Amino acid sequence: MSAGYIDELHETFHSDLVYRSEDIPLDCTPKPKEMEQTLHGVMKLNGLVIRSLEEIAGRGANAVTYRAGKKFGHEVAKYFQKRENVEEALHELSDLLRGQYSFEVWKPEDKETFIIEENGETFIYLVFHDCIVRQTLRRNGLDQGGPLCQTLFGYVVGAIEEITGRKAKLEIVHTGPNACLKKLVLK
Amino acid sequence: MDIRVDKDACVGCGLCVKDCPMHVYELQNKVSVPVRPNNCMGCLSCHEICPAQALEHRGIYPARRHYIDIKVCEMLRKVI
Ligand code: SF4
Ligand code: SF4
Repeated sequence: MSAGYIDELHETFHSDLVYRSEDIPLDCTPKPKEMEQTLHGVMKLNGLVIRSLEEIAGRGANAVTYRAGKKFGHEVAKYFQKRENVEEALHELSDLLRGQYSFEVWKPEDKETFIIEENGETFIYLVFHDCIVRQTLRRNGLDQGGPLCQTLFGYVVGAIEEITGRKAKLEIVHTGPNACLKKLVLK
Repeated sequence: MDIRVDKDACVGCGLCVKDCPMHVYELQNKVSVPVRPNNCMGCLSCHEICPAQALEHRGIYPARRHYIDIKVCEMLRKVI
């Protein structure tokens, strides 16, 4: 390694900045545009972790990631207002997920209400539009619906359970490149 | 949702009919016809599967795309 390169490196990591302990950063640095590489690094890393987990744990990988997501959902939603009304709970959830995931409540045209009762089940269809999990999977060439999707599932179920105090389950109906349809089953 | 099928491009393979989870399309005279457009939830699986790129959705919400490989894009920019 040449001395020139080492000097160049030292130069890169040196600044004349005076940093005081009270200088708590209030924003992410650097600017979002410059974060693109970091984001891609995180997506690659997540993809590799999930791929390895699947290789080692097989189908058990889904259980691990689901549980992790569920714990996270309970943890985060603990600080949110408790709501018995499912619609209000979903509103609360969309605030919770903002920036990473966006979803809307959806119904096929032959259904009258968003809360559907069918074959003894009560459920709501959710269409997930923006989803960081989908982005990560596509970035890594991985199939949708696997263990990484289970983290989101767990997260949503955990958060809904925490907010409403009711047991819930989330099922994949369809995964697509632009949106995914999920069924939130309420118990 | 306003869904249009380019009748000249459609080869009548029926892949969109099979793949759409909401049964939006039907094959009529060997051409796909969106018979239940209001049932579309915008997943765009049909766009991905259509070999003829014959489909068009208007009024759709395009999900954020972070997955584009920036290194590949940089290389392409140099080449193109
Ligand atoms: S976008 Fe999805 S739901 Fe809509 S027509 Fe295509 S496959 Fe069906
Ligand atoms: S997938 Fe494309 S080419 Fe095949 S039937 Fe549908 S619109 Fe036509």
